[in-house]
Amino acid sequence: MSERANRIASAALALVGVGITGYLLSVRASGATLSCTSGGCETVQSSSYSEMFGVPVAALGLGAYVVLLTAALAHGELARLGGAVVALAAFAFSAYLVVVQVFLIGALCDWCLASDAVTTGLAALALLRLRASPPPAAPERQLHAENAASRSASSSSSARAPRGRRANGSIRTRPSS
Amino acid sequence: MSRSRVLVVLIGAAGLAAALVAASQLGALDREAAPAVQATHSSLAGIPQRGLALGASGAPVTLVEYADLQCPYCAEWSARTLPVLVSDYVRTGKLRIVFRGLAFIGPDSDTALRTALAASSDGRLWDVVAGFYLRQGAENTGWVTDDLVDDVAAEAGLDGDRLRDARDEPWVTAELRDAQAAADAAGVRATPSFQLGRTGEPPELLQLRSLGPEGILPAIDALLRP
Repeated sequence: MSERANRIASAALALVGVGITGYLLSVRASGATLSCTSGGCETVQSSSYSEMFGVPVAALGLGAYVVLLTAALAHGELARLGGAVVALAAFAFSAYLVVVQVFLIGALCDWCLASDAVTTGLAALALLRLRASPPPAAPERQLHAENAASRSASSSSSARAPRGRRANGSIRTRPSS
Repeated sequence: MSRSRVLVVLIGAAGLAAALVAASQLGALDREAAPAVQATHSSLAGIPQRGLALGASGAPVTLVEYADLQCPYCAEWSARTLPVLVSDYVRTGKLRIVFRGLAFIGPDSDTALRTALAASSDGRLWDVVAGFYLRQGAENTGWVTDDLVDDVAAEAGLDGDRLRDARDEPWVTAELRDAQAAADAAGVRATPSFQLGRTGEPPELLQLRSLGPEGILPAIDALLRP
């Protein structure tokens, strides 16, 4: 999967997550009844696990999805690494919440399970993105590249410069006199 | 993908997930330690109950509550807000609350509601309602068992067998229908929903912003102002 396709898929999934958590929060705020086929949505959403010190878990989820959406839209190493950290943490926390639903609350919430599926997809995409991306160029490699360019330029004038080694192990060319 | 990058990602994700799990567990303990419906149950002592109503019939303001006994938000409102209303408004004769039960979530709603309505003839509907909220189980799992009804009835000073016998009486079924018709007429779309008004005047449907006391007290206070 190309980087571009990965980012588009990640952004789409993050938007789905934003929709799910936004719906849960809006229903919570209005006091309306959740649309639910499993019959356990209200039970899960009002359980003692639905909040962490007054902050609804859905609000945390919304925050995480917004971060993942931003990471999907952004370029660069920070977006790749940050997105992967948040996506994998969200996946692990989702797995924990499934265990909580099944074994501690004794009820399943459709919307929570849908969100869990989204985080699973986002974690897989984040890993793929990380794997497909080239590692950042190390200083030594950059110098190697510079040396190669320098050697190429020198060889054209049939004068290969002798090389020395710095204390940090990198290679440099001796300034030509 | 270099090994150091994988390590950074895994350590970061594991740390973040561990912090979230720890916060979830601590938060759950924190919420479970909060006073639950038991506070509501004991706060009803000494308050007059007649049929569906709690409080003095001459109270200047009447609040109508539409609730399903399987609705967790109804239980939350009953735990967080009802004790405040009872102690500060009902006990002082300012407010009267009328319970209109709905049974839209499923069979356990119907069984629990009929049991509560059966207790209304003994002036114990609100005690039975509080007992069901206290023991509320997962939706439609058959949690309203005979044993549970016996416990709820005993706490309210009633006999479980008598309540079970009365559940299917025509007047109980009629009250169920009346409550549903009133909810439909009022435009109730969710539970808990409330109508509020001066006693004797048509009440208005409230739009609650919070299930806590702050969600309803301003409206009651506004009606109590001269």
